[in-house]
Amino acid sequence: MYSLQLSPEQLEIRDTIRDFVTREIKPAVLKADRLDQCDRTLLVDLLDQASQMGLRSLALSEDRGGAGADALTSCIVTEELAAGDADIAAVLSASSRLAHVLFDQCTNDAQRDAFLPKFLEGDRYHLAFAGREPGSDSRLGVNYHRPAATNIVVKTTAAKSGNDWIINGVKDCVANAPIAGLFAVLVQIPGRPSPSVLLVSADAPGVGVKAHDKPWQHGVCGEVAFKDCKVPGGNLLGDDAAAILAEAAAPGRGIPLAQALNLGVGRAAYEAALDYAHLRVQGGRPLIEHQAIGIKLGEMAIKLEIARAAIWQAAWAFDHPEAVADRSLADLPLSTFAQVFTSEAVMKTAKDAAEIFGAMGVMRDMPLAKYVHDARVCMHSGDGNTDARLRVAEEIAGYRRADTRAMALAGE
Amino acid sequence: MDFTLSNEQRSWQMAARKFADEEIRPISLERDTISTPRETWDWDIIKKGSKLGFRTMAVPKEWGGQGTDFVTQALVMTELAKADSAISKAFSQNWKWSHLISASCTEEQKRRFLPGFVADDTWVLGKGITEPSAGSDNRMPQDDPKTGIKLRGERKGDEWILNGEKAFIANAPVGKLFFIDVRTDMTVPPKQGTTLFLVPSDTPGFRIGKVFNKSGWRFYQNGEMIFENARVPHANVVGEVGGAIKKAGGSGGDTTGGDLFGDLELAANALGICDDACSTALKFAETHKQGGQPLWAQQNVQLQINKMFMLTEALRSFVMRVAWEHDMKIHSANAGLAMNYSCDVGQEVTELYMEVRGADGCHMDHHTDKILRDAFIWNHLAGDSVSRMKVAKRLAA
Repeated sequence: MYSLQLSPEQLEIRDTIRDFVTREIKPAVLKADRLDQCDRTLLVDLLDQASQMGLRSLALSEDRGGAGADALTSCIVTEELAAGDADIAAVLSASSRLAHVLFDQCTNDAQRDAFLPKFLEGDRYHLAFAGREPGSDSRLGVNYHRPAATNIVVKTTAAKSGNDWIINGVKDCVANAPIAGLFAVLVQIPGRPSPSVLLVSADAPGVGVKAHDKPWQHGVCGEVAFKDCKVPGGNLLGDDAAAILAEAAAPGRGIPLAQALNLGVGRAAYEAALDYAHLRVQGGRPLIEHQAIGIKLGEMAIKLEIARAAIWQAAWAFDHPEAVADRSLADLPLSTFAQVFTSEAVMKTAKDAAEIFGAMGVMRDMPLAKYVHDARVCMHSGDGNTDARLRVAEEIAGYRRADTRAMALAGE
Repeated sequence: MDFTLSNEQRSWQMAARKFADEEIRPISLERDTISTPRETWDWDIIKKGSKLGFRTMAVPKEWGGQGTDFVTQALVMTELAKADSAISKAFSQNWKWSHLISASCTEEQKRRFLPGFVADDTWVLGKGITEPSAGSDNRMPQDDPKTGIKLRGERKGDEWILNGEKAFIANAPVGKLFFIDVRTDMTVPPKQGTTLFLVPSDTPGFRIGKVFNKSGWRFYQNGEMIFENARVPHANVVGEVGGAIKKAGGSGGDTTGGDLFGDLELAANALGICDDACSTALKFAETHKQGGQPLWAQQNVQLQINKMFMLTEALRSFVMRVAWEHDMKIHSANAGLAMNYSCDVGQEVTELYMEVRGADGCHMDHHTDKILRDAFIWNHLAGDSVSRMKVAKRLAA
């Protein structure tokens, strides 16, 4: 039964995170020196606190030490965190999602014994998936409605040497790379028909991480180079791991975490504008009493609530495949729908919110410039909304492509 | 209808294009990168441009300037902004206030200030209106005497004593001479109780506070002005006591002094950003490949570039018409409409440019990021609700 009645647990965790954001995250994030986008150092102490609250392992099953949060709960938490800070939300949602995929779905007992205790014990032990390679192109673009002209080849290789694997290659734009304790690395093993995934501890010899200074991506990310990097033979994940990781990374029907993060950014801008519109008096009355401002705030509220509905519906569909199977929900790439609508709604919201702040809206050390920048990043991260629309068009046209998974992995 | 430029207009345009290509563009991204707001300004480029006339070109010839017409000024602003919007604004801000000097100052005041301005390559002008608690209120003055600016002026013999502060004032940290709006009568509405003063930067009791950390227009500095018993001679009152808002063209009556030129200025500057975005997008689409083919081969890229050029050329027509109307002394609300339009077009065109370019994984090109931030500045001063309603009132006037 399709229902968006939240459970008592979901309501409670939402309130808890909202409180954490108000008390801890906002005061730290909204300082002028920290707001400047030239200096967006990660707030490590807050990440520690969040980890102790269980947010780093949120989606990991309860049996394995996590909270077993479903997609909808994860989206609610991510939105709340992002209303405080998009970077904190990005880091935690990446680790939490990977914890579930890796430890609940892709690892055997020996692999879990080797890595799960470290993950559970270390507040600063984050997870990263190293899939994308420099110059790789995951866009649909020219390949719209026709077979891909280019074969996506994974250039990072793993070769067997005795009992070990020797990895060579470079990955780029790897989310969480600078703070990761463990990487899941997409590699090509010579002679195998499709790529495989190896677990690589960040302290393995031959791993070099270079953090990106001003990435067009929330959280932290970087380049990861593997130079004759040796890992034990047992670190190779099962044959289906690459497919499972691709499924989790594919935008169409995946968990709309990035969309929830995007929504959190929009909500922060909206709430700031709403507060300010009550406080600021011009023209003899508070801004909110002026029609010109009322129209903008009303529009923001409408757009954000519809975005939330789209995100929650996509999350619900992910959690309840039966709702799609029995035709309660459309069998469509609902997460992509949420991505396009949310990013455009939030971009407009952030710009209008900034306008309400006047000159303060364009100052780098004030909150609104951060929200506008964060909204732009959401508009243009990944392959952008044009590409998203083309992917939807392929689906509704019934065009089936064989290479969806490879493209998703190349983009992740 | 004749759209031909005169030889003189054409030669200014070419000179501006050359200066923009050879001098401005090479330093544009480097100045944008500087993180300390106080250090983004570069006197070297100002001096070079000044020697070519780009600082003083709005000053009449009889006062030693170049006496260019508005069409020429629009052409030059666009060309300079194509290389760097903020640097173009740093030059044209001087024209804005030279227009005000020509329109509003007495011969005696002109004699005291214009020759110095014309002769000194590092003399730039500014005007202080906005205050921390008076932004929109100054742009649409209210009848309540308690609203509006609070910077107070009290007459003491031949001097006025000023106390209070201004915020976000363009060129404040680098200017030598400022026009300042001062409340000289707090008992009447701002419209009747505000007086315009000429305040040199070395006025005793006057100093510059913080420099604001803008996300766009990094080169062009906005600062805080602090007046603590600042003493200004009565001879520096511009126009009549209590006549500032009338004089600066608050509504209707066009002197082509500061305010209306300011509308043309923002529209022409935005046009430069759009030109930059269009030509860079076209080149990018022709030279970059996706899936083995130039981006240009894709329908969606063709549609995006079509829209960029369509909007930009429509803006150019509007800008040039407004400049021509200023030269013909035709008074209308068109300058304001063009300014509002330039906010929409500037943002849409730079956002389309970003679509064409896309992020390369987690990397975004610095130039793309910069012109987006620059174009966003219009959001609060050219395309906000207050500026649109102000223009609407001109239509009804």
